[in-house]
Amino acid sequence: MFYFKRAIGSLFIRLCLFVFVGVCLAPVLWGLVTSCLPQSALTSKVPDFNLRNFTLENYVLVLDSSRGLFLGLKNSFLVALFTSIVALTFGSAAGYALARLNVPKSNTILMMILATQMFPGIVIAIPLFLAMTQFNLIDTHVGLIIVYLSFILPIVVWIQKGFFESIPMDLEKSAAVDGASPLQTFQYIVLPVSLPTLFATGVFAFIESWNEFFFAIIMTRVNVKVSSIAIAEFSGQYQTLYGQMLASAVLASLPIVVLAILFRKFILEGFVEGAVKA
Amino acid sequence: MSNEFNLKRKQMGIWFTLPTVIILILVLIYPIFASIVLSFQKVRFLGQGLSKEFIGIANYISIFSNHTFQSAFIRSIYFTAIEVVAILSLSLLAALLLNHPIGRHSFFRVVLIIPWALSPVANAVLWKWIYNANYGILNFILYSLGIIHEYVVWLGKPWLALNMILLADIWKGIPFITLLLLAGLQNIPNYLYRAAKLDGANTWQQFVHVTFVGLKTPLVISAVLQSIWALKVFDLIYVLTKGSPADSTVLLNYLAWRETFSNLDIGYGAAIANILFCMMFLLALAYIRILRPRQTRRGE
Amino acid sequence: MNSYINSKLSRREFLKITAVGSAGLAMSQFLSGCAPKKSEKVKMNVLVPAAPDPAPPGVAKFAEDAFATWQAEHNVEVVYEAPPWPQLHDKMATSFASGKYTYDVMYNCGWVPEFADYLYDFVDKLPADLISDLPTSSFSTVTWKGKKLGVVFTLSLLTLFYNKEHLESIGVKEPPKTWDELKGVAKELTGGGRYGWVLNYGAPEGIGGVASYWMVYLQQVGGKVYDENGNPAFNNEAGVDALQFMMDLMPYTDPGSISYVGINDATNVFASGQASMMMNWPFMYTAASDPSTSKVVGKFGTAILPAGSAGSASIDGTDAYTIAKLSPNQDLATKLIEFYLDKDIQKRQVLDTGWLPIRMSVLNDPEVQEKAPNAAVVLEQAKYPYDSFVTPDYNAVTTAIGVEIQKALSGAQTAAETIQNAFDQVTEIIKKRQ
Repeated sequence: MFYFKRAIGSLFIRLCLFVFVGVCLAPVLWGLVTSCLPQSALTSKVPDFNLRNFTLENYVLVLDSSRGLFLGLKNSFLVALFTSIVALTFGSAAGYALARLNVPKSNTILMMILATQMFPGIVIAIPLFLAMTQFNLIDTHVGLIIVYLSFILPIVVWIQKGFFESIPMDLEKSAAVDGASPLQTFQYIVLPVSLPTLFATGVFAFIESWNEFFFAIIMTRVNVKVSSIAIAEFSGQYQTLYGQMLASAVLASLPIVVLAILFRKFILEGFVEGAVKA
Repeated sequence: MSNEFNLKRKQMGIWFTLPTVIILILVLIYPIFASIVLSFQKVRFLGQGLSKEFIGIANYISIFSNHTFQSAFIRSIYFTAIEVVAILSLSLLAALLLNHPIGRHSFFRVVLIIPWALSPVANAVLWKWIYNANYGILNFILYSLGIIHEYVVWLGKPWLALNMILLADIWKGIPFITLLLLAGLQNIPNYLYRAAKLDGANTWQQFVHVTFVGLKTPLVISAVLQSIWALKVFDLIYVLTKGSPADSTVLLNYLAWRETFSNLDIGYGAAIANILFCMMFLLALAYIRILRPRQTRRGE
Repeated sequence: MNSYINSKLSRREFLKITAVGSAGLAMSQFLSGCAPKKSEKVKMNVLVPAAPDPAPPGVAKFAEDAFATWQAEHNVEVVYEAPPWPQLHDKMATSFASGKYTYDVMYNCGWVPEFADYLYDFVDKLPADLISDLPTSSFSTVTWKGKKLGVVFTLSLLTLFYNKEHLESIGVKEPPKTWDELKGVAKELTGGGRYGWVLNYGAPEGIGGVASYWMVYLQQVGGKVYDENGNPAFNNEAGVDALQFMMDLMPYTDPGSISYVGINDATNVFASGQASMMMNWPFMYTAASDPSTSKVVGKFGTAILPAGSAGSASIDGTDAYTIAKLSPNQDLATKLIEFYLDKDIQKRQVLDTGWLPIRMSVLNDPEVQEKAPNAAVVLEQAKYPYDSFVTPDYNAVTTAIGVEIQKALSGAQTAAETIQNAFDQVTEIIKKRQ
């Protein structure tokens, strides 16, 4: 009876997982299929799935250098990489400080940090553009990174603060008893334990910078064109090249998926067991 | 001895916080200040840059009496409420699934990232294509399965269009919150579950008293962040409906954009943006209140 | 303990990498900024949409050699910025608001009156033979307060596109020439999964939005949006009749039309053979003749729009080039626009990209007429009114009118109510501007 119940339970879980994978992937799969078919095959009441029609022509067209997809990918990578590294470093430091280190007025600071998130980019765009023009930071990597940091840092701080708070105080107290300085406690005790969240936040920072569009449009011109802009170019006023746009979107998402596959073990391996000294 | 230690901690705290605060202030203090000032002005595209004229709260008065704003306001509240509830519950389920021994395989985590990795503009165009009245795959599948008897114009009827946008946004938003909750789940020490089992708790009770309690912080953070993002939704509206049909999918952030960049009434748009800010701020305060009483009970 | 040592190293490494990386980036910015400008080449910044939207040589693939030669001759380097079309207006607004020089030459589509204060009136500096080769009415959308601030570079008017096979199948040999004929033909053709008419009613504002389509019908019954003083003047029989006609067509229109935000979505339905007729821009002729996207290659024709009680009429797509007032290279910019309007360049524009030329001599060129049969039709359409009624409030006005029209098209209110509501709102908008 027990084994029967277990079998049903595990079947149920497997079913749920199947649904989960289906829901996550179905729209993307359709995007993939669309990118491999010519428009004429797609515009019938019953899509023409004849194998003859599948073609990689959209991908070939999209990789044409005039589209700047490669330049876009390169710029996106540079910007995303630096933004996420800096955001993780400064953000987790601030998150820890505000969680544990008796910073004066920490609650006010926290609310102010969160408050910067709440101003819609729409209105900040014009004054920000003006300020960036004054400092010659328009169309530069540094300029874009700084702008991205301004809205990724608050999220990093908040998430990290939440997790640092949930680490049992005993952990840090026992380190202090052993003679560790606050810095050493942070480095050797707290950080290793929070690796799952650090990675989740790092992934967040990377993907958000990679995919950001509105500020990329406003703050860049020609040199720092990022991949999200290159993709958007396929949707114009008089024509939307669905197949090509989805092909370029697939290509632009590939680096992230590849990185996710490479770092899949790091996305959430817990180090919690055995971390607390009895 | 302990005073010196505490002083050291405070100093380290300040040094740790400084870089973040400096960056935020440097980049955002002028734009935020400017946007607040702009909302009290009548701004026109004249002359060298912009011509500004102080008009007090006139912008705000005309906003509150404006029918489009009122409807957008209500719609935004509806949108945010449903989105936050939907994403939090679905992500919780997904996180539990991925935390289960069978679901722990890294394959599922990579699959999870895929909706998130898609560029927002491409995502919007993809969903527009899926919802297409004549050639959309959604219509095709539902019709083939016999669930509908004629093709539905998903983005053509007011409430339907809004909810389809909601659906697409929920799909896009689940991965991040799931990751967050998953990390939170993995932070809950195993011995708590063992202790609960020893006390005779069944699966459901374990969930409520160990899992849910342990996830309270990540859940509240997720709620705050997701509410902010739900209020800021823009790309989907712009690509899928441009506010149609008949402004029924106009939400506050989209309205702010339309007034600022399309109608070039920057003062009015800034006022809408500031109202949005107040909404988000109040919401965040409310959420934090929920968190605070917990903190005094923390301690294992 | 090993993991602790590893984490210590990795944190130091993190900091090191960041420091080195940021220093490296900063250095490279600094150095590139410091590099001595050996060349005396003038740099011009040109803002245009990305192809396949109307774009000049260098962005769209035509006349590239001629363009390179022109740049060398004038010692200019033209730097193109080609964002997606929907972002053009945002970028221009931001740049103008900042009060700083950003662009020399910019593409414009119905925004000239809005941005009039920031544009330089260069048209009178163009050679006389060029100006006389351009249709006079093409300047109506780029002139504001008496100053000509831009030049339309492609004759883009809405015309009727119809599926010849469909029409022949019900025994109609000629495309409909009047409103009644259009309605009759559309009615007969609708059925069995096919629609007589399709159009994009999903976007209220802008050129190509639902309000601008109503303006087509409005002109076809002799109506106007504004009177001589700039006040709204459509709250009359003409306004209501125009809207009523759109509503009367609804039973024969693809129900998805209300959800099509861009003209592209409507074009898809026509090009797949599912709809028989639509209004579209000349560019569609090329798009619908492409076998990879269209199933009606060789089966469709184009004609002037059916006439209302006052004859046929259309609207101008108003794709134009303008020059910024803050540009330090105004003469050079004028020469660049002259280049874009050169006879050979215009000819290549139509032959290679499908965007019709604006110069009458090129439109009447037999080679062009042969390759682009729709050129003759558009020329014919240009004999009738094609006012787009562009004003500084064009976006706000078309949004207001468009939203009301959408309500009418979905059956929520009558034509009379709609026009009254729209009229009231537009009056408010105009008052705000004073």
